[in-house]
Amino acid sequence: MISALDISTSGLVAQRIRLNAISSNLANMSSVRNENGELKPYQARFAVFQTDNELTTAHGAAGVKVAAVETEQIEPNYRYQPGHPLAIKEGKWKGYVAYPRINMTTEFVDALEATRAYEANVGVIEITKNMSQQTLRILA
Amino acid sequence: MVFESTTIPLLQQVVAFTEARHHLLAGNVANMDTPGYQVRDLSVEKFQEKLRVFVEASGAEPPVASPGYTGPATSPREAALREVEESMKSILMHDGSNVGLEQQVAALTKNQMLHNVAISIMTSQFRLLQTAISERV
Repeated sequence: MISALDISTSGLVAQRIRLNAISSNLANMSSVRNENGELKPYQARFAVFQTDNELTTAHGAAGVKVAAVETEQIEPNYRYQPGHPLAIKEGKWKGYVAYPRINMTTEFVDALEATRAYEANVGVIEITKNMSQQTLRILA
Repeated sequence: MVFESTTIPLLQQVVAFTEARHHLLAGNVANMDTPGYQVRDLSVEKFQEKLRVFVEASGAEPPVASPGYTGPATSPREAALREVEESMKSILMHDGSNVGLEQQVAALTKNQMLHNVAISIMTSQFRLLQTAISERV
């Protein structure tokens, strides 16, 4: 049986995954090499949410799931550092180092939003629990 | 026995089940960071199925408090284990563990609710019996 509690839990899980992606983005703000050690700046990750059709109550309430964690494909942030050992040797960007293009403000606002959404789901769980406790009061 | 005319034997099984399940769920939370740990659970659906059979055939043997144990695969009820594990929609971590904190806490909460309901009904039944015994209103 799918209950309101399961729906709220799916929200918690989704927001936590989103927060993981955000912390990864912030941690890798200056990573000039990718996970394989190649000279490619880190690209921001973001979680894509989707309504979970497997998690629906009899009354049509639906849960959420993370459909995918996408990687952004944008131009790196070039900084002129000719003395840097990893500076680009030739071409248009000679003397520049490619850094990830991560907007700290956006990431922080997203983190704040994810945290608040997590809290909101915890709040709903508390209300759900409270309601069932009130029902028990009829009995006891 | 005076209890057999009440639902107390039934509620006793429910409480025993929720208690057993609580231990497993607490173990899951405790092993959140254990590499290779697989979540263990008792199937509520299977328990309720057995309970229904018990209710329908009154006078039958009371069901075991923990059917559908989904612990280590060495258990003879391996089929049940697969079924429940697949229904657990948790993420498999790189260390081979699949404990999702939120799911476990939600399961704990629901288990606690079921436990509280059973205990409340049991309390009111005992109160009725008490009233009958004491011959007072």
